[in-house]
Amino acid sequence: MQYWDDIKVDSNFKTGSITIDAAAIIKYAKDFDPQPYHLDPEVAEKSIFGGHCSSGWQVCALMMRLFVDTLRREGIPTAGATGVESLRWYAPVFANDTLHATIDVVGLNRADQHNSHGEMHCAVSVFNQLDKRVIKLDTCMLVPYKPEDAADE
Amino acid sequence: MSDIEHVYRSRWFEDIPVGEFHVFGNHTFGEKEIIDFGLAYDPQPMHTDIDAARSDLHLGLVASGWHICAIWMRLMVTYMERYATGVRDGRRNGAGIGFQNMQWLKPVRPGHNLTYTYEIVEKPDKVIKDKWGIIRSRNEAYNQYGELVFSFEIDILAERRPATEVAKFQAGDSE
Repeated sequence: MQYWDDIKVDSNFKTGSITIDAAAIIKYAKDFDPQPYHLDPEVAEKSIFGGHCSSGWQVCALMMRLFVDTLRREGIPTAGATGVESLRWYAPVFANDTLHATIDVVGLNRADQHNSHGEMHCAVSVFNQLDKRVIKLDTCMLVPYKPEDAADE
Repeated sequence: MSDIEHVYRSRWFEDIPVGEFHVFGNHTFGEKEIIDFGLAYDPQPMHTDIDAARSDLHLGLVASGWHICAIWMRLMVTYMERYATGVRDGRRNGAGIGFQNMQWLKPVRPGHNLTYTYEIVEKPDKVIKDKWGIIRSRNEAYNQYGELVFSFEIDILAERRPATEVAKFQAGDSE
């Protein structure tokens, strides 16, 4: 296990990867973002995006999946995020793109509102299989402090 | 078509006023949809496991912040499409380019009902690809107790009035 106290500023993590297919794009679009260029590959070819692409919010959600899976792999328990200071969408994510992300720890603060958890500020970038950046964001996760009875490693 | 509908449908960037405020939808979050979203995109125990969530910082199951965003999008699309019906070239606002100051302020639990609002707060002085302007809106969601639970500011592209339209406008012949 790694706790807030174990993490250092400038720690960085590389996530695994995730491939998004047309069916997943359409499923998310039907549920949450039913615009033609997400719902219909043919219409999407002629749209400003030039192809069948996912909702920008689905890209955010996929980023979260990569992020959560990576923290679990690293043995870092989390209690969610408090927010996102900023996020930019740089490029569309098309059907069958494979995404991965880099997570850089840029700040660690004690959280005023919690006795049990500290803030871990991260800069996160998501890239496609061509290493083109598709989104970049700054976010803050809550990570538990090391319990007093935790074994030192 | 009513005059109001016509105004909303045909607005260019230049016609969208700072200060305009909309209550654009509401949604009750169900337990199953919270867990389904969590399992797919945000598998932390407080979003996926009712029992584990009880002992978590959040003291029970809560919706993923990205689920709250997804519902924002769903309600926004529904709201905008009401005004875009019949416009052959589609809505004249385009993709989001980014957002800032997103805060998840209070837990959203099964059964909670959120009401979403937005206000146009700024039109940054930038022209993108000779065609688009930026509309910045402050978006908020309130729960059924009237508490602010979610807020952010998003930048969305809106098409600027083309020169031909400006000429028509100046000649007093605008739609």
